[in-house]
Amino acid sequence: MTEPSRSDDGGAGSGGDPEPVTDGGSAAVDGRVSDLTAFLRERPRLRTLSIAGPPYGILVFFFAIPLLAMLVVSFQADQIGGAWTLGNYVDFLTSDTYLTVVWRTFLISVQVTAIVAAVGYALAYSIVRFSRRTTLLLLLVILPFWTSYIIRMYAWINILQSDGVLDSILNLVGLPAVGLLYTKTAVLIGFTYVWLPLAVLPFYASLTNLDGDLIEASKDLGAGPIRTFLSVTLPMTINGVITGIVLVFIPTFGSFITPRLLGGTNNVMIGMVIENQFKSAFNWPFGAAIGMVISVVVVALLLLATRFGGGLFGAGGETS
Amino acid sequence: MRKLTDGSTSLKRRRFLQGAATTGAAAAAGCLGGGGGGSDRVPMDVTEWPPEDLESNLNLWNWYDSWAEYAIDAFGEEFDVDVSNTGYSSADQWYSQLQAGNDEIDNIAATTNWVERSIENDFLHELPVDVMPAWENITDRIKEASSYQQDGSTYAVPESLVLYPLTYNDEYFDSAPDSWGVLWDEEHEGDLCMWDNSTVSCQIAALYTGQDPIQPDDYDEIEEVLIQQKPLLQTYWGDYQQGMSLFVNEDVVAGPLTMGRTYTARFQEGAPVHYTAPQEGAMYTSDLFVIPKGAPNPIASLQFTNWASETENAAQLFETMGYQPAVDISDELSEEDAEFTNWPDEWNLVFSETLSDEVRSRYDEIWTAVKAA
Repeated sequence: MTEPSRSDDGGAGSGGDPEPVTDGGSAAVDGRVSDLTAFLRERPRLRTLSIAGPPYGILVFFFAIPLLAMLVVSFQADQIGGAWTLGNYVDFLTSDTYLTVVWRTFLISVQVTAIVAAVGYALAYSIVRFSRRTTLLLLLVILPFWTSYIIRMYAWINILQSDGVLDSILNLVGLPAVGLLYTKTAVLIGFTYVWLPLAVLPFYASLTNLDGDLIEASKDLGAGPIRTFLSVTLPMTINGVITGIVLVFIPTFGSFITPRLLGGTNNVMIGMVIENQFKSAFNWPFGAAIGMVISVVVVALLLLATRFGGGLFGAGGETS
Repeated sequence: MRKLTDGSTSLKRRRFLQGAATTGAAAAAGCLGGGGGGSDRVPMDVTEWPPEDLESNLNLWNWYDSWAEYAIDAFGEEFDVDVSNTGYSSADQWYSQLQAGNDEIDNIAATTNWVERSIENDFLHELPVDVMPAWENITDRIKEASSYQQDGSTYAVPESLVLYPLTYNDEYFDSAPDSWGVLWDEEHEGDLCMWDNSTVSCQIAALYTGQDPIQPDDYDEIEEVLIQQKPLLQTYWGDYQQGMSLFVNEDVVAGPLTMGRTYTARFQEGAPVHYTAPQEGAMYTSDLFVIPKGAPNPIASLQFTNWASETENAAQLFETMGYQPAVDISDELSEEDAEFTNWPDEWNLVFSETLSDEVRSRYDEIWTAVKAA
């Protein structure tokens, strides 16, 4: 047995506290804690379970079981408790309408992710490389999180609407009004604004760990700025980039508030369809089936992107 | 090592396992919810008015926020009850609480179709309306239209009538448009809106095409006209505030909006808007007060339901929110408000009965197809 003996414990553990106990209740509590500690110490499996159990329990109770419940419901007809059926999946996967919505959602999500990644990376890079007031700038980046999502969207409505803030500024400098509200551009702007902090933080974290000497070495060896970026900076920060992409892509794919408030008549996304099944059509099983399919699709896409992206950038790094 | 196998260790192990089991049971009870808590008294215990021994608290779920603020002060002061209100935006918020086992909500202002669902699932207390004095104040029109009774029992008291009219800019139009066709008129291209709500929009299309909005016979035609309409629209609004802002900012000149939001836009925001029921008809429904089972303060809730249906308090619903209360308040209104709230007898108003699962499902499919087109 490799566990320490009780005498070892007596010297180091709370149960062997050499200080005199002045409070009877406190001593009793200490005694119980000591007993429990000793009990667990001599049962490594139970000890591991007591440490890992709570987080795994949370995962099981609040993620795995709800997901399983959703899976079960998705195989029921019309309502919870209905007859078992594959009909919800068949209806969804054979409908041009729903697949068109999924495709549009995918395109919007890719566009948003690309924009946020580009803007967010440039912002994080600027903060790390060219700024002294890093903390202040990061605070400004996360500042919008302190305001409700809905309120931020209403702020954008005021900015983008006809004769709104943006149009007023454009008119002030002699440019024509654009009236972007209820267009796809408005949706992209709204998403970019909302998700930018989620991308900037992992980008920033990965860039701060980047060894500046590597960039200098690349330049010394004759690489230009673009090649240095593609061969050194980006590959060395790829984990942060992928984290940022995942954090942006997933919520965008499931969004329904931003396209509803800022989009016009042609910006339906699959999240809006799912929401409608639960709140208006009352067809929870069908909504659950769509949710399950979308979850699988999103996870598959991310796994593919991660593998493809990692390989691509990894290869770039090796050849440089 | 040996010590751990003796009696004290066994005791410790039992204590540990007992503790873990107790904690687990408590956690499971918390997670699964118990529901069905609340008072031992039920509203039907009240056989004489006024009820005695009101509870000292009352938890409302009422989406008429401004009226609820008035009610919190006025009712609370009159009956010495501490009132709180949760303003919700979607009925599924409170309905899911009832499904999980209510032990918090005392009184809900619920739309008819949700009341029906709640009655079917035995979520509501029966109400002793025969002993409630204010029951007499509810107009026959709304008593007959609303669906809140089952097997001779009454489970709700109507609070308001909710009309889904055609709202229009009364400076843009010389007179009220007499047809839903205005929403398909190319002359107004880009200045129109529709409600991002499958039922409301499909029912407007059904009325426009001369079909029964509760049980239409040509779904393809409904889908076709909604797709035809799409290029003429500025947007589908999905939030009441957003819908009202479209009219207040004069981004649109016609579209569906609730009577209450039209009232707010006209009288509180100063927007040039009015509403009408086109000749093809307009849908309306009702909101009703219900007392859910598990309510911790059911008698105070019953007293509140009666109080809210007194003429003076019902009139406040119109004054603050612009919705037509279930009580005749004509004597309480200014001439301007009376004109606004008057629904001419010649209007063809269609009560929004709860749709069958098939119709609701088809409307949802159509609406998704229209938005994806």
